[in-house]
Amino acid sequence: MMAEFDLYSLRNTFEEQGVMICFNGPFSHSVIEELGEAVRRYLKSADAPKSRVTDVFSVFVEQAQNLKNYTAREDSLGPNGTLVIAREHDRYLVSSGNLVEREDAERLRSRLDDIAELDRDGLKQLYKKRLREPVEEGAGAGIGFVTMARKSPEPLKYSLRDMPDGTCFFTVSVVV
Amino acid sequence: MDKIEIEPTKSSPFVRFDPDDGVMEIGGESYPENSHEFFAPLMAWIAEFLDSKPGSAVLRVTLTYMNTSSTKYMIDILDRLEAAHGAGTPVRVEWYCDADNERTMGTVEELQEDFAMPFDVIPQEF
Repeated sequence: MMAEFDLYSLRNTFEEQGVMICFNGPFSHSVIEELGEAVRRYLKSADAPKSRVTDVFSVFVEQAQNLKNYTAREDSLGPNGTLVIAREHDRYLVSSGNLVEREDAERLRSRLDDIAELDRDGLKQLYKKRLREPVEEGAGAGIGFVTMARKSPEPLKYSLRDMPDGTCFFTVSVVV
Repeated sequence: MDKIEIEPTKSSPFVRFDPDDGVMEIGGESYPENSHEFFAPLMAWIAEFLDSKPGSAVLRVTLTYMNTSSTKYMIDILDRLEAAHGAGTPVRVEWYCDADNERTMGTVEELQEDFAMPFDVIPQEF
């Protein structure tokens, strides 16, 4: 039998960390649309300025679509991932985690390390360069990270953890 | 050539492309599930339309949000219009933005920097 689930402590954890929205499970396109609406409604009700709503929504969409498009070992309901939006004072933290194949993990590491070295102007140049690279079907994660970095006053934080099945658990966190 | 008329969804924009008056309108939200599937027919239409040497071409944009892959396709569209402008077709871009949202204004002004054709960024109440 399943142990009784401790929702009270889960709720306390969320409240302590200022979690507004958390989704864990298969990311379908309709989940992204529904969560996106919730994000916007929540931020509007918190009187966030329009440009902040745009930034948080944009970082949310890029992360959620990355989860949907680049997760390894998806099950029948779609790619599994975890996405959390938390608030601390007037900042928002958008974080997500998912399994990726190990060879993709190395690609992610080098892309994110390259982005971390750039200042505002460097990010703008790289953004413009990536925008003009040929559109490949289903490939857009490179520019998604650049977009996120440009919307954040702090460098992107990421982590990669090796899993026993040969995949890696990848997380990325963006302060907006 | 036929018109294109596409109704919006939560995550994909409305589209009205009319070969008779040369007006191409696109507006609303743009983060479709598969941006290639959404934009490829639009790109094909625009290529055919511009090849027909139209009397004028107007792109009217009222997008409230576009994700990065939609932005790439919009740049593709702008590049084609810029090329037609260079080849003598009268081209105009009217991009309407929320006057109260400095972020969307900034994003579009940054796109505008790279084009020489008539390209107006127009603040508007949304």
